[in-house]
Amino acid sequence: MEYQQSNGVHPAKIRAVDVSAYYGSKKAIDSVTLDIPEKTVTAIIGPSGCGKSTFIRCLNRMHEVIPRAKVTGAILLDGEDILVQDPVQLRRRVGMVFQRANPFPTMTIYDNVAAGLRLNGVRDRNILDQRVLRSLKQAALWDEVKDELNSPGMRLSGGQQQRLCIARALAVEPEVLLMDEPCSALDPIATAKIEDLIYDLKKSYTLVVVTHNMQQAARVAEFTAFMYLGRLVEYDRTQKIFENPAEKLTENYITGRFG
Amino acid sequence: MTEVAQRKALALGLERLNENMRNLAELSELAIRKAIDSLQHVSETEAREVFDVDNAMYELQFVIERNCVDLIALHAPVARDLRTITTSLKISTDFDRIGRYSKDIAEISLKVGKESPTLPEKLENLTRMADLTIHMVDTSIRAFVNRDAESVKDIGKFDDAVDDMHDELFLELVKLMENRILRVSQGAEYILVSRYLERIADHAVNVGNRVVYMMTGEQPRHAAPYFKKSGPDGMKDSTSG
Repeated sequence: MEYQQSNGVHPAKIRAVDVSAYYGSKKAIDSVTLDIPEKTVTAIIGPSGCGKSTFIRCLNRMHEVIPRAKVTGAILLDGEDILVQDPVQLRRRVGMVFQRANPFPTMTIYDNVAAGLRLNGVRDRNILDQRVLRSLKQAALWDEVKDELNSPGMRLSGGQQQRLCIARALAVEPEVLLMDEPCSALDPIATAKIEDLIYDLKKSYTLVVVTHNMQQAARVAEFTAFMYLGRLVEYDRTQKIFENPAEKLTENYITGRFG
Repeated sequence: MTEVAQRKALALGLERLNENMRNLAELSELAIRKAIDSLQHVSETEAREVFDVDNAMYELQFVIERNCVDLIALHAPVARDLRTITTSLKISTDFDRIGRYSKDIAEISLKVGKESPTLPEKLENLTRMADLTIHMVDTSIRAFVNRDAESVKDIGKFDDAVDDMHDELFLELVKLMENRILRVSQGAEYILVSRYLERIADHAVNVGNRVVYMMTGEQPRHAAPYFKKSGPDGMKDSTSG
């Protein structure tokens, strides 16, 4: 499936085909099929426990890290099945930012950003410097931390820590960035900064954002998927979902008439 | 405020908006009915009542606008809730225009009433046009109040009939004036009444189309009364002014 956008055609970057995910015998995701278009923001909404976080954790094989967890179906990244790829290499291409900012507590701001690069074997100081500078600029954090790169990352505010984690994810030059409720612990000003950042990042990256905040989905995403009880109920352009959803269940959820 | 409390407040706000909209809609129908009565029976009392109704509608329109802005600003409504609010905002203007044209007709009834105590018998087509226009206003209001998109799907056909009646009435009135059956000062006023009725019918179509949008999310473009062919001058905006 291809999505026609005003600025051209966005082919699917990720295709999930009949994906089911399990925790032991419990099915958390039930036969989800959807295409995530390249260089756009796709939001995944739904009530707690609907499987939205589990779904994005499948997209970089984080789900399988949990004991007795299992994924079936196919997940294609640029047409290639990720379930047969090396997970470490995959996670370099498909980065992730979590709900709670999790900078490495003993590391400086610089080392936090450089950590992923070093893990991937980059040792050249010039390359490290360039990537740290670029990543912090991309994450809209450079101006705030440029004079304290050797301070501990934990000294930053919550919003800054979250942007530091985004910079860390961007440093290894991923193609896809998964964000699991990236603003749920942030105040409105920090949230606005992250949302502006998401808006800028979609020029270069494919973003998938799980959010409980429906207005955030409406603000940042071109496409929105609504999940309920592990199933994909509706997936369409964000305008369609929020102005005239096709499914009654979607309408009930987004208008708060959910019982 | 918790999410549940927010939804309760939204539901209450929508209820209040709906009640105000229902009042405005009913007042607009009352205005057109009374305006036509005042024209047919040359009743100054009824004409004055139209002026009062129009004033009340004007005030109510501002209250509705405030309701809508508050709901959007405070509750970030989506889907049908959002469509209900935007529809109310749009069609409150249509209702206001219906009230304003009714007032214009009532003013004419006072002017022509000084010359002739009743509507000339020759103008039975004007009465028929008024009946059809009132029927259209009534249909679109019922559709809005009952949230019934189905009942207004053919409202465009009635509008075409009103347009034809307006064209015919124009020629008829010109002939009556040429033959000196009607004075020019009277005939010109009745031409204006015909024009106002034609406009009111356009606003009824707008309301009907917006009800379809409110209920289905689809905008029925085929029936839009905008930019219809109007004689040799070509395009016109049939709902402005």
